[in-house]
Amino acid sequence: MRTRFRKNFPIFLLIVVLAVVTAIGAGYFHLISQRIYEDSAGHLREIYGQVNRAFGAFVDRNWGLLDGWGEYLSLMEESGNEEEVSEYLTGKQAYWGFSDFYFLSKDRTGMTLEGNTEALDLGEETWETLCESGEPVMAGQKRSGGQDVTVFAAPVKPGIYKGVPYDAIAVAYTNEDLSRTLKVDAFSGKAKCFVIRKDGGVLLSTQSGGGVFENYLVYLKAASSLSDAQLQQIRDDLEKGDSGLARCRIGGVDQCVLYQPVGYQDFFLLSAVPLSAVSAGFLSVQKTTVNVLIVIFLLVGAAVAAVFALRSHNQFQKNRMELQYRERMFDVLSNSVDDIFIMLDAGRHNVDYISPNIERLLGIPVEEARQDIRVMEKCAVNYNVVIPKTELEAIPLNGNRYRECEYMHQNTGERRWYRMTVYHMEIQGMRKYIIVLSDRTLEQQMNQKLQEALNAAKSANEAKSNFLSNMSHDIRTPMNAIVGFSTLLEKDADQPEKVREYTRKITASGHHLLSLINDVLDMSKIESGKTSLNVDRFSLPELLEELSIILMPQARAKDQTFTIHVQGAPPEQLMGDKLRLNQILINLLSNAIKYTPEKGKIDFLVAELEQPAPQYVKLRFTVRDNGIGMSEEFQKHIFAPFSREISSVTNKIQGTGLGMAITKNLVDLMGGIIELKSKPGEGSEFTVELSFVLPEQEESEAWYRQKVTRMLVADDEKEICLDIQELMRGSGVEISFVTDGAAAVDAAVEAHRRGEDYHVILLDWKMPGMNGVEAARRIREQVQTGVPILVLTSYDWADIETEAREAGINAFMSKPFFVSTFWNTVKPLFLAQEEAKPASESGEEHAMDGKLFLVAEDNALNAEILTEMLLMEGAHCELAVNGREAVEMFERSAPGYYDMILMDVQMPEMNGYEATRTIRASSHPMARTIPIVAMTANTFAEDVRNAMDAGMDGHLAKPIDMDKVRELVGRLLKRNEAE
Amino acid sequence: MKKKGIFLLLGIWAAALLLSACGGAGKTGGVSLTVMGKKSDLAKSYMQKVFEHYEKETGNRLEIVSFEDDEYEQKAAEAIGNGKAPDIFLHFHNADLSRFDVAGNFMYLNDQPWAEDLTDSARAYCEDSEGNLLGLPFWESSVSGCYYNKTILDSLGLKPAATQAEFDMLCGVLADLGYTPICWPGDGCTWMMQFGLDPIFADDPDMLEKINRNEISYAEIPEVESMIRWIGGAADQGWFGQGYLDCGWSDIGPALSSGNAVMTFIWDTWFYTDFEGDGKYTVDDFALMPVFMGTVDGGTYEGGNLNMMMVNKNSERLDDALDFLAFCATPENYNTAFDGISTVSCFKGQTTNIQSRMVTDAKASIAEKERVSTAASRIVGYSADDVAGAVTDMLRGKTDAAGCVQAMDECRRKNAAMQGAEGFPGE
Repeated sequence: MRTRFRKNFPIFLLIVVLAVVTAIGAGYFHLISQRIYEDSAGHLREIYGQVNRAFGAFVDRNWGLLDGWGEYLSLMEESGNEEEVSEYLTGKQAYWGFSDFYFLSKDRTGMTLEGNTEALDLGEETWETLCESGEPVMAGQKRSGGQDVTVFAAPVKPGIYKGVPYDAIAVAYTNEDLSRTLKVDAFSGKAKCFVIRKDGGVLLSTQSGGGVFENYLVYLKAASSLSDAQLQQIRDDLEKGDSGLARCRIGGVDQCVLYQPVGYQDFFLLSAVPLSAVSAGFLSVQKTTVNVLIVIFLLVGAAVAAVFALRSHNQFQKNRMELQYRERMFDVLSNSVDDIFIMLDAGRHNVDYISPNIERLLGIPVEEARQDIRVMEKCAVNYNVVIPKTELEAIPLNGNRYRECEYMHQNTGERRWYRMTVYHMEIQGMRKYIIVLSDRTLEQQMNQKLQEALNAAKSANEAKSNFLSNMSHDIRTPMNAIVGFSTLLEKDADQPEKVREYTRKITASGHHLLSLINDVLDMSKIESGKTSLNVDRFSLPELLEELSIILMPQARAKDQTFTIHVQGAPPEQLMGDKLRLNQILINLLSNAIKYTPEKGKIDFLVAELEQPAPQYVKLRFTVRDNGIGMSEEFQKHIFAPFSREISSVTNKIQGTGLGMAITKNLVDLMGGIIELKSKPGEGSEFTVELSFVLPEQEESEAWYRQKVTRMLVADDEKEICLDIQELMRGSGVEISFVTDGAAAVDAAVEAHRRGEDYHVILLDWKMPGMNGVEAARRIREQVQTGVPILVLTSYDWADIETEAREAGINAFMSKPFFVSTFWNTVKPLFLAQEEAKPASESGEEHAMDGKLFLVAEDNALNAEILTEMLLMEGAHCELAVNGREAVEMFERSAPGYYDMILMDVQMPEMNGYEATRTIRASSHPMARTIPIVAMTANTFAEDVRNAMDAGMDGHLAKPIDMDKVRELVGRLLKRNEAE
Repeated sequence: MKKKGIFLLLGIWAAALLLSACGGAGKTGGVSLTVMGKKSDLAKSYMQKVFEHYEKETGNRLEIVSFEDDEYEQKAAEAIGNGKAPDIFLHFHNADLSRFDVAGNFMYLNDQPWAEDLTDSARAYCEDSEGNLLGLPFWESSVSGCYYNKTILDSLGLKPAATQAEFDMLCGVLADLGYTPICWPGDGCTWMMQFGLDPIFADDPDMLEKINRNEISYAEIPEVESMIRWIGGAADQGWFGQGYLDCGWSDIGPALSSGNAVMTFIWDTWFYTDFEGDGKYTVDDFALMPVFMGTVDGGTYEGGNLNMMMVNKNSERLDDALDFLAFCATPENYNTAFDGISTVSCFKGQTTNIQSRMVTDAKASIAEKERVSTAASRIVGYSADDVAGAVTDMLRGKTDAAGCVQAMDECRRKNAAMQGAEGFPGE
């Protein structure tokens, strides 16, 4: 109660102040009004006193005139000249303005100057006063036609006019005329003034038209606010001949009614004047005072209101600021969490508040949600996220409801899980629903992950069991062969044929066992996350050439068509892990060959995709076959480890089931994607998309390029010719092309005839009509120049190599055409020409013949095997048992003594890497150029990278595969020779 | 036997019928006069009485040709124009007579013996501008003026106005006291305007001549605009009360009867035919004073509009027609016909009619200020509806006083032109 009083005290105080001010004002104005009224009454008395006196003077004057004219008539009576009398009085009439002149006789009749007699109703009392008392009188008279006149009469010496005796004479003024005489101009013409008798009967009015008032007391009684007592007072005053003043309301106007005796007979001058007219001046002052006071009060009130408004505004601003701070803080808080807060008006269900993080979490713009909360339904996944109105209204005050909801982000599609709790509460008398959406996404995701992990664990366990089962079988099978044939070998050691047969089978089983171990180790390393990429510059054409070299024999073995296509002009130099890329593509291609029946077709396509960034290139590698294909079910888990489709066909094909899992993991590791399309019986298509960094351009040695300015290309596919033309644009080589062999011969002959021989002729092998080899032969026959002739082919040229070289073909190039491959192919030919040496006739198979290797190997058994293998290749070696010894042996050697160093990595005292670094750092003349090849059981990419980082030139995995040794050694030696 | 009896009866009946027919013809002389008039006019009791009396006394027959009221002007004009003019033609004396070629078709009756018996006002009404008596006024007549509630005025200590200023004062005082001074039925006050216009043209025949020759217009007559301005001023000051523009003929009685309205401009017989209300005030409470409409200071009364019996000068039965008028103008006959009818006398010897107290009380004033109905009956092209319409438009604020006068002029000229009046070229 007390608090309430305190709270309302300012209003109470304001009311009191207003009441006091109003009371003071009312008292003041009453006082002022009273004073004004009194002053106005005095003013009114003064004015109408003057009017009264003027009227009295008018009456006196008329009576005086009548007296004078009476004497005149008395004098004229004797002369009897009535005509002169008439003329005289007519002149007076014109002068004084009266309407009629009467000769009155005691018989109550009057005669006009013209002699017309009429009865005059002046009233008996008036007649008696006039005739009996001999006193002048004033009376009203209505003339025929209704016009009112006032008659002034005075007794005169009796006489006779026009034969009629008279005792008095009179003049009559029309009341209209008199009203002009007595008109009061004061009070703006709003005053009415009457000469009345004491009974209220109106004799005349000073106002035009006032003749309609017959009895003013009757009028006052009917029309004024005067009480009976006040009216009686007026009657009494009139009866007694007293003056008086009354204030009343007539016709809705406050008026002053003033009456004063005229002083003749019982006539009174009565005036009714609007109070506003009487007190106009005073009222003006009063009005001004009131206006000033009102203005002052308004100003004071406005000032007070302004102060209150300012305080209120400040308070409001403060409150608003606080509210804004809180709201802002809440916004920030809600933005930092993943819970969503909504406040709804319980009546209209309008949104009063919604936390701004709704846009981040669900992709719903805040304003959109604020306008209609039902917009959240668009994000609903499992439930109607807006609780129905009936359900909301069913929540009791201070109660709550909750439900689990799943939403999906409108833009990203991200799913989130919430617990929606609706609280029904009352805030400052307003019913509200507070909706809190508590984020349960992490919890849900964790549960999902746990579930997935559980599933994975189960699956892994299952896979492990399968793996062990598979491995058990797969390892035991070759091991069984190795052990079995080894036993047979011992038993049949004296039979060379059987020994060779047994050793061949042991070797094959060993290779299979080795590939199995390699895959398992690879997979193990990838899955343990220990695999890293060895990114280095590599040549795409070289990569494709190597793939062709490796896979073409396999395809040829199954009589399959294996074609490599390059679409567009992908860059030839790339930065990437060539080894891993090779691994990916060999896996895909070898599978394609493996699972495609004989005479099948395998296409390998390389295409450049849209450049993702200036320094990047994106390539798509497509491996397409028309092999056995895969079931849809198998496609779903082809990339899972140890997955192999079980069928009558596949069961006959050896494999670990790890190849595709490794491939997938490697593609992932390289940030690419791998996709598969396949139909059983129709074939499969694997697509790998990978991005590579473009290396900085190298200035290549180009002296020999100046020697090639004209080149002839012959290919029955015109597109290939145009591609070559396009690829060679800017190289300074003018490309002419023809589309068949005969035309090529003609072109070469014609050029020779003109003395403009081509510097290089590039012939497709297989062309309709005349093939490339035949064309080359004809050219050599007709054009006796040493122009290099190259064959461009998609096929393995091994079968025709001898014939081709006999026909005069200098070199072979695999399709597709790469500029760098071209130059690399052409370069040795020109070098040979320069040195006038014939083209090398030695192949890789003879690369090791007569070479001396320094072999660093701590394992005696491995050292022995290697030594024997090298001997088989016609090479020799000197052994070092560790890295240090190898270093020492090299340093002691003469330059060129060793052709190559084969370096084990894991060795006592000094490992292979350190030994290599030491050799490279040594002062030996061959320190930087002698090829050093790692020879190790460490076969992972980082092992290769470590080897390269240490300064080695190549890497060979143990157990030693002599084919690979031969290939690598041949390449390195050739490189050294070229340099 | 039976057959003989039947033939005998039939013979007696046929002989009686023949005797009856022969006897009637001998009594009437066989003259048949045609009388053309409005259906409602001919249905008046005093008309029926005099017609029956005439046929009975003279044995002549009257063939009545009547038309509906709203068709009368048109059909009568067509009949007369087609040579089918009646012997006796009934018409009020107003400007519409011009379409009937009065001089060519009807006889002037100045030398008829009954002409001397007409009251001054009745005779004046029936004369044209050259003093030719056009017909016998055989009609009920009344005095139009300002009828006021004397009881109310007396209770207020007020008296009737004698001048325009007093009338204005009276209206102002009544309005101040909450009364509606004048009952002015805005929707249909067609008759009121002529009261104000009458004295302008009645007092100045030359003015009437000029306006009928289209030599002057209302706009050039100050009193006309004065009247219009007075009406506008009265409305502005609330003297017509609230909502008066939506009031009509039927609202006058209740307004006066209740005492809400104190005065109205009407005629005395209205109090006996149409005055209905709640009965608070009756005809006994009313009295008559002149109409004040801003035209003449002393006010005016309008004499009655009379239906005249006009005689076809080309009639083959001209003498019989004149005899018929003489029959009607015989004191015995008109006193028989008007016995008990409330009307102002048209004949000096009229004694059986009833004259209202109001008119009797104002006899002296009427004698001084009465004018013959002039505006409506003498101004060529005058249409009470048109004038009332123009005034109402002004009162509704659609135009001002000058516009109102201009509209009155345009309507008048248009009507006159349509009537083919001389000096008013057609459009």
